[in-house]
Amino acid sequence: MSVSIRHLDLNFGPVEVLKDLNIEIHEGEFLVLLGASGCGKSTLLNCIAGLLEVSDGQIFISGKNVTWEEPSKRGIGMVFQSYALYPQMTVRGNLEFGLKNAKVPKEERDRRVARAAEILQIEPLLARKPAALSGGQRQRVAIGRALVRDVDVFLFDEPLSNLDAKLRADLRVELKKLHHALDNTMIYVTHDQVEAMTLADRIAIMKDGLIQQLGSPNEIYNAPVNKYVADFIGSPSMNFLEGVVEGTAFRTGDTVIDLSTYGFTAEASGPAWIGIRPEHVLTGGFSDVSGLTAEVTVSIVEPMGADTLVWTQLAGTDFRFLVDGQMEVKEGDRMQIGIDASRASLFDKSSENRI
Amino acid sequence: MRELAERGYLWCIALAFVAFVLVTIGLDYAVLVTAPWVLLALAGIAAVLLIVEARGVALAANRFKWYAIGWVVAAVVAMGLWALAQKDVQAAWPALKSFRKMWNVFEPFALFAAALFVLIAIGILAIGTLDKGMHQPGRLERTFAVNMSAKVAAVPMAFTAIGVFVISTGWTIYHSFTNSKLLPKSQFIGLDQYERLWSTNRWLVSIENLAIYGICMLIFSLVIGFVLAALMDQKIRFESVFRTIFLYPFALSFIVTGLVWQWLLTPEFGVQKIVRDLGFENFTFDPLFNADWVIYGILFAALWQGTGFVMVLMLAGLRGIDQEIWKAARVDGIPMWKTYIFIVIPMMRPVFVTALVIIAAGIIKVYDLVVAQTSGGPGIASEVPAKYVYDLMFGGQNLGQGFAASTMMLVSVLVVLIPWAYLEFGGRKRG
Repeated sequence: MSVSIRHLDLNFGPVEVLKDLNIEIHEGEFLVLLGASGCGKSTLLNCIAGLLEVSDGQIFISGKNVTWEEPSKRGIGMVFQSYALYPQMTVRGNLEFGLKNAKVPKEERDRRVARAAEILQIEPLLARKPAALSGGQRQRVAIGRALVRDVDVFLFDEPLSNLDAKLRADLRVELKKLHHALDNTMIYVTHDQVEAMTLADRIAIMKDGLIQQLGSPNEIYNAPVNKYVADFIGSPSMNFLEGVVEGTAFRTGDTVIDLSTYGFTAEASGPAWIGIRPEHVLTGGFSDVSGLTAEVTVSIVEPMGADTLVWTQLAGTDFRFLVDGQMEVKEGDRMQIGIDASRASLFDKSSENRI
Repeated sequence: MRELAERGYLWCIALAFVAFVLVTIGLDYAVLVTAPWVLLALAGIAAVLLIVEARGVALAANRFKWYAIGWVVAAVVAMGLWALAQKDVQAAWPALKSFRKMWNVFEPFALFAAALFVLIAIGILAIGTLDKGMHQPGRLERTFAVNMSAKVAAVPMAFTAIGVFVISTGWTIYHSFTNSKLLPKSQFIGLDQYERLWSTNRWLVSIENLAIYGICMLIFSLVIGFVLAALMDQKIRFESVFRTIFLYPFALSFIVTGLVWQWLLTPEFGVQKIVRDLGFENFTFDPLFNADWVIYGILFAALWQGTGFVMVLMLAGLRGIDQEIWKAARVDGIPMWKTYIFIVIPMMRPVFVTALVIIAAGIIKVYDLVVAQTSGGPGIASEVPAKYVYDLMFGGQNLGQGFAASTMMLVSVLVVLIPWAYLEFGGRKRG
């Protein structure tokens, strides 16, 4: 079911937490709200859930205005970071409690619990108490609690943040499978860009209560709308060089990058930033690059297994790029690198928006 | 053989210690006076056996040497304390005389401790030379050597704890079977004191009052305390002001509380007078002067005094509940009262247990409130067991009867406590 947020404002006293937010979430879409802590992403999710009263604006779920509706009547299920399971009830009790309270008949209850347990593979755990479960199992039960309610929209509030890295990766894949199997609308809050990129149909990057960019993971990765988004997405993060755009050239110090293949979105000249992702820097075996070729000295090498991150200096600034992990690179080596202007991003110096 | 010697040594030292404590608190029977020295001698024999087993004391350069030196130092300190109590030393150093009483108390303890410490040092040396290559601590080492400074420091507390909680209790129970009057004596009269106790009307009234007071106090202070805490937890304004107001009575002693409520409930100038002055001439409210209601008047004062504290405990417990639990319950559509009863209260079980223990202890020992508010009256209508015990022991000069009553109080506490402790701690091991 679709969710639409129109002109949403939220103030805590004089502090504006959310500022005139507008998002249309399509039916069956997996939307990730991504941002650093304090950007308002969890607040927005709580507003959608009805756990916080909005100051202004409306929220529609399945075309119905639910702005002032109780959370339980909105057709949403929510999964929390700390699992928020009821500790003194068994897993089955946790799954059933909301249903019992809504006076769902016993057969129906059993059917729904059995289905959720099957989907999440927690059937053997039904008689246990949450204290006897591992973190991953607890989070599955928490998802199950949303699942049994037969809701249209799932809300996830950093559900994997309390898990260790390995489990997080496993559960991430399972969430993706779950989304394929159920085809529900899901809204997912995280500060982890890997989760965002892997799970999302669309990502909304938030900062200071405003949405910076709303788009598919690819759009956000390849064409970030401003310097904040460009810096936030990507690991290791993007290199930025400060300079001046002059016609189809970017000049930084003595270095000139040819921009003839760059897709300008606006007429541009003047001070600007150029952003180049470390993984887009070409090394060895390239010919004829339409941006810049330069010879650099390696200052630091960070091997990461599959890749090696190489630190160097370009135009007087720290500059990182990735090379294949098998390649032998030592500190002090001289290397040929190439920058493809068509894969770079240009941002205006003052507004920091993409040009 | 070595195992046996080690075990015998440990038991001798422990028994000598207990016997010595018994002697110092005044049970100076000939058997008990000689027992510590006999036992210490036995421990000495056991130590010698250990030495023989070890084929001579070699002051081996291993960890036992250091342990033993520690105990010898402790013995020297104890001997120093003992020396300060000696007349010759005090004559040479007159400033000590002003503390003579204190030194006289120390004297026997210091002497005994010094002997004990030396013996422990010998035992450790013996065990240390016995097996130089010991990989893990044996029984002796674990008992006396590991964490030694902490154990030496705990000796005075061990004396106090054993003296107060075990030996004094035993002494009280023992004398409850005697016909002690003004002074304790050992003339046994069997269960006579208990028969008298249970045929005394005043005691029966006390028990009944304690039951009413206890049950009501437990229920009402928990319920009112929790409800107040739940109301305070609704993110209200001026929360700290309310918290202070509710907690304030707790800062008053029971004596003051009792007096305040005695005045408030006195017909001549309390609630009754105020309401009558408002024009309701026939209004009567004098719980403290009505034998059927007086215990509830006391209960009310106790609730006024104690619920604030329960509230603060509960509030702390409520603050410890994860906010996401509340959110999850709201999303699940569970009404607030159900969330409290089925989710939050079970999660607060430890807080409830704490509150229960504190309230229960307060109930059993209620005494000063009654004394200040009603002095047990009208008649004997508001007597409580603790007051009965005190009055009999120090007012009626009937120690035996007071001991019998306090033993009954102990028994009733144990009757409640033992099954509870069994459920609480015994069950966990099995499960």
